[in-house]
Amino acid sequence: MVENRLLNWLLYVALMAGTLGWLGSGKPFKIVGLFLTSGLAVGSLYALGGIGMVVLFRATGVLNFSSGAAGAAGAMVAWQLGQWGLWAPLTWVACILVALLITLAYGRYIAPRLAWRETVVKAVATLGFALIILGLVSFLWIDDPRSLTLPTDKIGVKFLGLRVTATRLIVLGAAIGIVIGIHLFLSRTKVGLQMRSLANDRDLSALIGIPILRVETIAWGIAGVIAGFTGLMFADLIRLEPTVITFMVIPSIAAAICGRLENLAIVLIGGLSMGVVESMLTLSSTLKGARPIAPFVIAALVLLWYQRGARLTFGGRD
Amino acid sequence: MRLWHITPSGWAGLIFAALAFFLFPALAGNLWLSVFISTGCFTIAVAGVSFMYARLGMVSLTQVGLMGLGGWVMLRLNHAYGLPFEVNLILAALVTMVCGWIMALPAMRMRGLYLALVTLMAAGGLEILFATYQFPNGGDGFWGVKTGSAAPFTRPALATTPEAYLRYVVVIALLCFLLIEAHRRMKPGRAWAMIRRSEAAAMAAGVNVTFYKTWAFGIAGLLAGVAGGLLAGSLGLLDDATFRASESVLIFALAVVGGARYWYGALIAATLYRILPALLNNWGVDADLSFVIFGAGLLHAVITAPDGIAGQIAGALKARKAAKGRAS
Amino acid sequence: MKQTKTLAVLAALPFAFAASQAMAAPSCGANTGQAASGDPIIVGGIHGNAAPGDFSAATDAAAAYFACVNANGGINGRPIDYRVENDQWNPELAAQAAAKLVNDTKSVALVGNGSFIEMAVNAGTYKDADIMVMASACAISECFETPNIVSTNQGPLPSNLGAVMYAREELGATNVACIGLNIPNNGIWSCEASINYMKSHGGDGSMALLNPGAPDVNSALLEAVSSGADTILINQPAGLALAILKAAEEQDLRDAFNWIAPTPLYDLSVPDAVGEYWHGHIYVNAELAPFQVNGPDAQNWIAVMDAHARPEDPRDTFAQAGYLSAKFFTETLMEMDPADVDDRAKVSDAIRAIKGKTSDLMCGPYYVGDADFHMPNHAGYMVKIVEGGYEIVRECYEYEAAYFDPHHAIEKEMGLK
Repeated sequence: MVENRLLNWLLYVALMAGTLGWLGSGKPFKIVGLFLTSGLAVGSLYALGGIGMVVLFRATGVLNFSSGAAGAAGAMVAWQLGQWGLWAPLTWVACILVALLITLAYGRYIAPRLAWRETVVKAVATLGFALIILGLVSFLWIDDPRSLTLPTDKIGVKFLGLRVTATRLIVLGAAIGIVIGIHLFLSRTKVGLQMRSLANDRDLSALIGIPILRVETIAWGIAGVIAGFTGLMFADLIRLEPTVITFMVIPSIAAAICGRLENLAIVLIGGLSMGVVESMLTLSSTLKGARPIAPFVIAALVLLWYQRGARLTFGGRD
Repeated sequence: MRLWHITPSGWAGLIFAALAFFLFPALAGNLWLSVFISTGCFTIAVAGVSFMYARLGMVSLTQVGLMGLGGWVMLRLNHAYGLPFEVNLILAALVTMVCGWIMALPAMRMRGLYLALVTLMAAGGLEILFATYQFPNGGDGFWGVKTGSAAPFTRPALATTPEAYLRYVVVIALLCFLLIEAHRRMKPGRAWAMIRRSEAAAMAAGVNVTFYKTWAFGIAGLLAGVAGGLLAGSLGLLDDATFRASESVLIFALAVVGGARYWYGALIAATLYRILPALLNNWGVDADLSFVIFGAGLLHAVITAPDGIAGQIAGALKARKAAKGRAS
Repeated sequence: MKQTKTLAVLAALPFAFAASQAMAAPSCGANTGQAASGDPIIVGGIHGNAAPGDFSAATDAAAAYFACVNANGGINGRPIDYRVENDQWNPELAAQAAAKLVNDTKSVALVGNGSFIEMAVNAGTYKDADIMVMASACAISECFETPNIVSTNQGPLPSNLGAVMYAREELGATNVACIGLNIPNNGIWSCEASINYMKSHGGDGSMALLNPGAPDVNSALLEAVSSGADTILINQPAGLALAILKAAEEQDLRDAFNWIAPTPLYDLSVPDAVGEYWHGHIYVNAELAPFQVNGPDAQNWIAVMDAHARPEDPRDTFAQAGYLSAKFFTETLMEMDPADVDDRAKVSDAIRAIKGKTSDLMCGPYYVGDADFHMPNHAGYMVKIVEGGYEIVRECYEYEAAYFDPHHAIEKEMGLK
């Protein structure tokens, strides 16, 4: 088992080094650095989205397609409050609160009604919810060029010839911090223990008296906060367009798949790698047009690698 | 079950097809003709998803992406060679079927959510490919894309008017449903039924599980290819926005909402997907708000109708019959 | 593109003020002050309003102008029944909209169309039905290279050329990197023309393309930056352009390049949205007269909007283009034999016969002509983004490029130049 894991890591490092070496060969170091650091920011966002998804999925069994929409709604509210002259930090809090409320609303009022459905149906139902939010957001804020700026955009450090703003560092730091934080939460606290137990076996957990509703609500809450934070960062770093933020979930799922929907550290590494490879593909003259395909190809390859040697087995759970 | 036996539900389907063939083209104006043609195409695509889900419990979240592939091949062939529409359609369907197979081979090791996710990744990849390389419009080279206006598209000789094209789509949709039904009644159907119940039992009984699952993927791909080809034929060109990954997820959700086990479930799903938005648009409902209505309807149906809307209809009919039986 | 309600109202205020000083009532059609009551004449319009953009400003303005015409005697006493459909950026809905307006109803023409895909889907339908489309917010090649569509706005190709020409002549640009959308009949089509222009003048050019839905715009910017260009042309809708500018600000690239853009960046909410960093550093080509020119037609446009449009309807370039299309169309109908205005073929002929219409909103004359391509508007202004608005840096100028040779030939033939 340990050997197997070591093999996986070695393979990963070799593949990444090979890909980056191939894409970056013959290019000035500075240019490679530019794309590398740029990719890390997008990758952190993929990872953040994936982390929120995995935390929720493990505790509740729901793969949430609506987290992007919740983030988009939060970001738009933050922008609007900013336009009305509200003190900036309050608008950021508002963004996270809105995403939290939307996610909790689904978790408390809609998700329980679907508890008996298959995992896939539970997942696609959240897309219906995402459409509702996206429709409302686009109705309230008609299309217009908007932007959201954080004060941290003005602070920056030089890294590999590229100016890296504090915002980008915050996103990367937050992604790492959240992974560590949730790991500690799951391993050190009672609720964390209950969550792990739910992830292992829901029916059994219910039998031994774990307060499922409470634990699930906490998981939805964590997912909501992460969705709000991701939405805010996305709006600042990428763009403030509800549709784009909403459908960011699909590459985020790709990042979640890398961690087999359970291992947060691998989700983080997967998301970052996707962002970097996607960005670095710009250096290839043949592949640059199709560079956003990187997350999907990587996720598919990772899934296949995990399933290698696996055979169709009898029964058991998926 | 005998191959040629027609069930009551089968009769209903045939009667509906006849109605759609004779009545709809005669009554609908150009707007609704075009809506019905789209609906027909998507009915075929949904039939593919529903059939995989209902017969084998396999979830494909890439059906609309595969439709795009079929449409791509259709357009490419149309602009490259002067072959008749039908030949192009068959080739497009076969190419898509082969792609369905290719996708199925690695996916065969997975089940449930993972299988769904690997197909979602395929849909995401196809979305990017369509957005990057676009649909052929009569240009040169492999991708066949030129700047400026699209070259003309040759519609089938049998169906050059919108009315005739709707009839054409109805006939092909009927053939597709018959294809599924025929499969269900023959050897593959028995194998699928066994696999659905227990893969272990199926394997023990000597059923080649991988082969029959792959076969099912192929049929779903074939139907997607036909649907995409027909859609390309109705518009003469395609746009990548139609084939986003989220649309594939939506189509699956609608297949569940419509009722995957019934033929009219596919029709209900396609109706919700194409006719409902057109109606809302026609009534002057804001496009954004119709998204909200659509999403809410979807959620409501997933929550309240475990067997889909078609299941509710079937249940209601059965209950009436039972009540009648008691009364007499 | 639409603005938020508050912004639109705020932006409209100074103009409304100027307009109310200049004239009390808008002037439209026969200007009788009497509502038209006869048999309506059906006119259609198609816009695209859904994610990722709202192109309804032109049809809103055209609707306002037609409402004004109807309140002022209509077309010889007959009102215009203006029916607008939304294609929602969906090719099937676009085809359905045309089926409804062109085949199911006997619209005599379509006016004010604005979309990214409608024209590509329906160009053939229009030709088969021999109906003319006087579009106003066109962005793709089909708008300018098919026989039955003529657009008042310029679209990306001429506007890019105008910006590149200015950069070459005034900013010393020798190598332009065009950041375009990866859409053949939009980004690639219009970037290619700019690159060809640079090459024909001894310079060089390249394009960096990005997928409209992809989150990462930074890569396209970095690609442009590393191409060796001295000038970056942001050939994007405003939302994406803002994202690119923001990424450039982060890298502090402002002073390393000339920054130019076509008309989409001419939008009153842009100067605020780009922020102080960029003020005075971005040059934008405006395909219709900038707001401060404020000639009689510009004032009448505002008066029409104030009297007949909703307050939240945007007052932007596309709205001006919609107003102009509607105005030219109305004038054409009024010059026709009143017995013929219901006859689509005759209306189409009359539209094709339009030549030499002028307005202070447009630099050149508006004409249609009987050709397989139409692009009457290929001269514009150059403006610079400054705090709170735009400063004109070059008045009306013709774009000089080989692309326009056929257009110039036709203009010569029609006796316009």
